Amino acid sequence: MAGPVEQQIHRDPALFYWILLPITVVMILTGVLRHYLTVLLTSTPKRQPLEKLREQRHLAHIRLLIANSPQIPRASFEKRREWIAEQVKDGGFLAGGPESRGSAKPNPLSDPAMMEGMMGMMKGQVAMMVPQSLIMGWINAFFSGYVIMKLPFPLTPQFKQMLQAGVGTRDLDVRWVSSLSWYFLTLFGLQPVYNFILGSNNGANQMAQQMQMQQAGQQMPGVDDMDKIFQAELENVEVVEHWYVLDGVEERLLKRLGG
Amino acid sequence: MSDPLLEAPTQTNPSHTLALSQKARPYLDSRPWYFTTLPYPLSLFLAPESQERWAASQNLFLASLIADDLPVAYAYLEDITERFGKLNERVMALQGLYQEASAKDTKALEDVVKNYDELLKTDPTLMAIRKRRVAVLKGVGRIADAVGDLVLMLDASPTDAEAWAELADCYVSQGAYEQAVWCLEEVLLVMPNAWNMHARLAEVQYIQSQKMSEGSGEQLKTLSESMRRFCRSIELCDDYLRGYYGLKITTARLLAILEKVKKPPTASSDLVAGDLAPPKVATVYKLNELATAKLAEIVRRSSAEEKGWDGYSGAELKAAKAMIEKDTQKIER
Repeated sequence: MAGPVEQQIHRDPALFYWILLPITVVMILTGVLRHYLTVLLTSTPKRQPLEKLREQRHLAHIRLLIANSPQIPRASFEKRREWIAEQVKDGGFLAGGPESRGSAKPNPLSDPAMMEGMMGMMKGQVAMMVPQSLIMGWINAFFSGYVIMKLPFPLTPQFKQMLQAGVGTRDLDVRWVSSLSWYFLTLFGLQPVYNFILGSNNGANQMAQQMQMQQAGQQMPGVDDMDKIFQAELENVEVVEHWYVLDGVEERLLKRLGG
Repeated sequence: MSDPLLEAPTQTNPSHTLALSQKARPYLDSRPWYFTTLPYPLSLFLAPESQERWAASQNLFLASLIADDLPVAYAYLEDITERFGKLNERVMALQGLYQEASAKDTKALEDVVKNYDELLKTDPTLMAIRKRRVAVLKGVGRIADAVGDLVLMLDASPTDAEAWAELADCYVSQGAYEQAVWCLEEVLLVMPNAWNMHARLAEVQYIQSQKMSEGSGEQLKTLSESMRRFCRSIELCDDYLRGYYGLKITTARLLAILEKVKKPPTASSDLVAGDLAPPKVATVYKLNELATAKLAEIVRRSSAEEKGWDGYSGAELKAAKAMIEKDTQKIER
């Protein structure tokens, strides 16, 4: 007995040459184009002013002191701790000097440096969005409604929406893929191909790019109250329980080397 | 084995530097014509663009500067400048380096410093230029100015281990050991596992202890601290010649002092400061023996050119050998 009857659709082989292949090629080429466009559009990150740099480096310094305090003797650790406490209390580390503490947070939009960063982001977004919508329009205009290929494996009906966008036939087997769906599949699935053509950190895949941008947006600098952060770090420094890495090092060494 | 072109020429490795500088000219001549004739974005279409190529260019540039082959160095500098632009921070530093190397006398060097000053006036965040300035000042012997510059730099960027180490060096040259120790501690805060920095700190502490009054508690403290630092550096890096050498010297000194001091304070002298108690005589003695044995092993195996025992610096090996020989002579007598 034969199994469930397999749907047979006779497709014009020209569909393959004139739709499937062009969409794939165009998608790959747009990816390449987008990569070079992002390379061209990325502006080099602007240098931070010295005061801001100082503030951040001192913060990093305090954190290093906490993490690596065992490396130095207790006496010098205490000296550093006292100095940091004094500086934080006076606000000596702050970028705007001691006077700037407690002042209202600056509006990130009013800062020209910040604006520049946002402009860069916008440019990137545009470089992503324009080709994407153009190609989608192109496919919709010319190729909508075609069934262009058949997947070699069966799928559950849940995939129908994903694979047969633009084809309004209810009884069609899920294995048939419409042109619009092929577009989406290539949109999401070409990353390995780009990696092969352009090297691993390319800017071709807009999905990865958008993800990055969202992350970058979340950690916009300059919005936090640095004074509060320093106070918190000072508390961390103050609770550090100091131990010394040289304590008993000679016994350790002798034990290990069998002395 | 990595490409030798990608290894930076350093002062501690003159043979590598020499080899690099000899490669510099043929490498320069082997470049295809389109490297130089086309402007930057167009040359990308023909020439493969890779980080390795530019890293190699920089190393060859530095090597030919050290070898005093200025024309070749200039060709590399032009290459790099063309690719990365005059305003790139690294390119600026490399250009400064070239000017320093081509300066004929102290006056020309002063001009270079002035040039740096002007660059820094327009953009005070150029750390590479600041470092160059410090290096020149140190080179012409204006240590006080160099220290001032370094302090300014470290106030702005206290996590810069390189600058801290440089400052420590300046202080040591001026005999300000306490300050030098502080700076080296800062280096260790940034790089806690740098065994060579541990050893360096121990060396400075040893020199410091030599200047203290004989047999005082302070000297004992500094010396044991120094010995422990050497222990730590060996703990971090097996068969570290410098560490063992230092360990041998410090333990020998400690033994001499501990013998003299009738009743060594067993407990920690100052509980508030949290100092460690001086080590037991037996432990120091064992460590001394260990260091001697290890040094002898390293010298023996390394001079026999055993596999895995190469790579020690020749001068250090010789010093270790001399010390062992002196030691055995003493016993014979």
